[in-house]
Amino acid sequence: MRRSGMLVVVLALLFLTPAAVLAGAAKTITLWYPAGDITAGAAHFGDKTLFSEYEKKNNVKVEAVALDYDTMQQKIFAAAAGKNIADILFIDDSWAPGFLREEMLEPVADAKAKAWLEAVSPEIRTLSDYGKGRMWGYTQYGIDVYGLTWNKDQFKEAGLDPEKPPKTWDEFRDYAKKLTKRDAQGNITRVGYAIRHVGQPHGVVHKHFWAIYGAGAALIDTPLALRGGKYMVNTPGGKAALQLVLDMLDVDKSTSLNFPDPRAAFLKGIASMQISETVSIRARQPKEAPDLKWGMALPPVPKAGDKSATNLGGWLYSVPKQAKNKADAWKLIEWLNSPEKDYELCKKYNASPRYTVNWDKEPFKSDPYNQGLKQLYPYGIKLPINLGFNGIMDATGAAIQKVWHHEASVDAALAEAERQANKAIADAAK
Amino acid sequence: MISERRRSPRQVLARLHSRHILHAYLFIAPVIILFGLFRVWPSIQTLLYSFYKVELLRDRFTFIGLENFYSLFGDEIFRRATVNTLTYVITIVPISAFLGLVLAVLFNAKFHLKEFFKAVYFSPMVTSTVAAAMVWWWMYNPQFGIFNVLLKLVHLPEQPWLMSSHMALTSIIIFSVWKNLGYNMIIYLAGLQAIPPQFYEAATIDGAGPLTRFRHVTIPLLAPTTTFILIYDTILALQVFDQVFVLTGGGPAGSTNVVVLDLYRQAFERYNFGYAAAEAMVLFLFILAVTILQYYYSKRYEVAY
Repeated sequence: MRRSGMLVVVLALLFLTPAAVLAGAAKTITLWYPAGDITAGAAHFGDKTLFSEYEKKNNVKVEAVALDYDTMQQKIFAAAAGKNIADILFIDDSWAPGFLREEMLEPVADAKAKAWLEAVSPEIRTLSDYGKGRMWGYTQYGIDVYGLTWNKDQFKEAGLDPEKPPKTWDEFRDYAKKLTKRDAQGNITRVGYAIRHVGQPHGVVHKHFWAIYGAGAALIDTPLALRGGKYMVNTPGGKAALQLVLDMLDVDKSTSLNFPDPRAAFLKGIASMQISETVSIRARQPKEAPDLKWGMALPPVPKAGDKSATNLGGWLYSVPKQAKNKADAWKLIEWLNSPEKDYELCKKYNASPRYTVNWDKEPFKSDPYNQGLKQLYPYGIKLPINLGFNGIMDATGAAIQKVWHHEASVDAALAEAERQANKAIADAAK
Repeated sequence: MISERRRSPRQVLARLHSRHILHAYLFIAPVIILFGLFRVWPSIQTLLYSFYKVELLRDRFTFIGLENFYSLFGDEIFRRATVNTLTYVITIVPISAFLGLVLAVLFNAKFHLKEFFKAVYFSPMVTSTVAAAMVWWWMYNPQFGIFNVLLKLVHLPEQPWLMSSHMALTSIIIFSVWKNLGYNMIIYLAGLQAIPPQFYEAATIDGAGPLTRFRHVTIPLLAPTTTFILIYDTILALQVFDQVFVLTGGGPAGSTNVVVLDLYRQAFERYNFGYAAAEAMVLFLFILAVTILQYYYSKRYEVAY
């Protein structure tokens, strides 16, 4: 009897002690973000003090977990299927249609969405609004706008004015020819313009949006509709956009399929011009090319007088439907994305703010980079939010690659892309 | 105490035997359970999924019969992936087998540092495919990779390697041959060392030279080994994924897209689990056909010394 009594006491202590400890412990809110420098906006999650003020005030613990960018979407989906997912997802906004198609995301409350859309600058409003004021997350600061970046020293070396980038496609081709360098065997050692032609098809399309949009084409005729619509790249404008780079490859020989990622090539000094996320060059240049003198402008247009166009993108703080602490997650997101925090973090991390009121404060008011970005934003076009978006991008990326790798003619490649993209749109609408 | 009913020796033996069987099953039970859980059940589930539209997040399964298979056969991307996979198989299997045989014949002789070189040739086999592929990705870099540096040194034109849709699959095949060579070499070496020397002695007495002995003694007696290697390598090659995923991701322009990579994309990037399951089933049928071939050919080429 005495022995069994002791056993009961020991067992009680074993079970009750952890429960007592757990009862007093803070709730944990998990946040998943992409590791590395894939986005400048994720840099602050590595700062251990970022959430300390919030944690103390609200008796919570915020656990920011870095995931590999290349497989992050798959991990998110698998976690959602296993009903064991983070409370907050920091996602590329181009992933949103895929997640919306699977009904994975919680919408922002209407009143909060309205307040946000009224307080932020126009480009943030464009990115945040998924139609009729509906928001699926809060857009991160330091948004991406694609611009032409050029190496000023190489411009000077080629006899070009380093402060005057090409404005039309003819100028662009001419500049690229002059900037290209070759070795004694005739191999290109520096391209005038670096292209993205390998890797994820979506990335290939992103870096060629400027030409597609600039030539008057579009990915879909109803970019803000979740369902329905028609593929619009197989048009004279779309064909011209693909033909431009094909001519630079075959006729001008001012670009090459032998060069890696355009940003890496630009920062290594083996590409004089490239068109991609300006925020990425800004973040990477001090580390990877500290001596590089570079300029930033809108991408060139088909002919003088045409309207400039480029793509606008960003990252989103979103809450998945399967999150266990939704209310706490939204509360944390709202705190992190308040006007005060926006100003504090943008100042600390050298990023462009989101609130209109913060643009009127220093350093943003007089910083040349941020003011330069403000000139580009009005020409930025948001990605379509159609639920068949992934299929549209796959088809377009495949077409671009086939054309530039001489696997198919422009007409054949875009005809096939149109068939596949329209099928993806139709399947997503079911 | 003396038992009222004594057991006969036969009964005792039978009881011992059944206890022995029970113990044997208990020992292998964990493996069988794990095998069933992680290999058999997922295979059955894949077969079932291939007849459904699977929406995992909504917990919705809609029976659609053979619709996934019909879509598959009309899918140009899957067709191209199949062609790429078969091209890969047809190229890599005979090359790996041939080079493995050559190395095995060389290593069958005695020379200095033989064991060291054997380890050198076998080491790619024990290296992680992903790690090795990442190193080779850099070696294939057109600007900074060692292959183009060496080509430049001997005044040969630089190659685009993985950057070209015409060369990327060849580049992957070269990597795969390097990776698998050691395994074929070891298997052939075992086969060579199992051949009784009397056959060679008899052939030598009959006046056969080295090449004749190789053609008329070694090759025929290695037939079972060769059959095994060809079939095993074919099954592995049909399931190629790691090196393609790391080196090219299936590009450029789908020139290195293979069946397993395509089904991975369908399942985990497009969330079309039913469609991906149908692809897996088609691949399974390919591999089953190869296995059945192996069964019949191995019977035909059985050799008794």
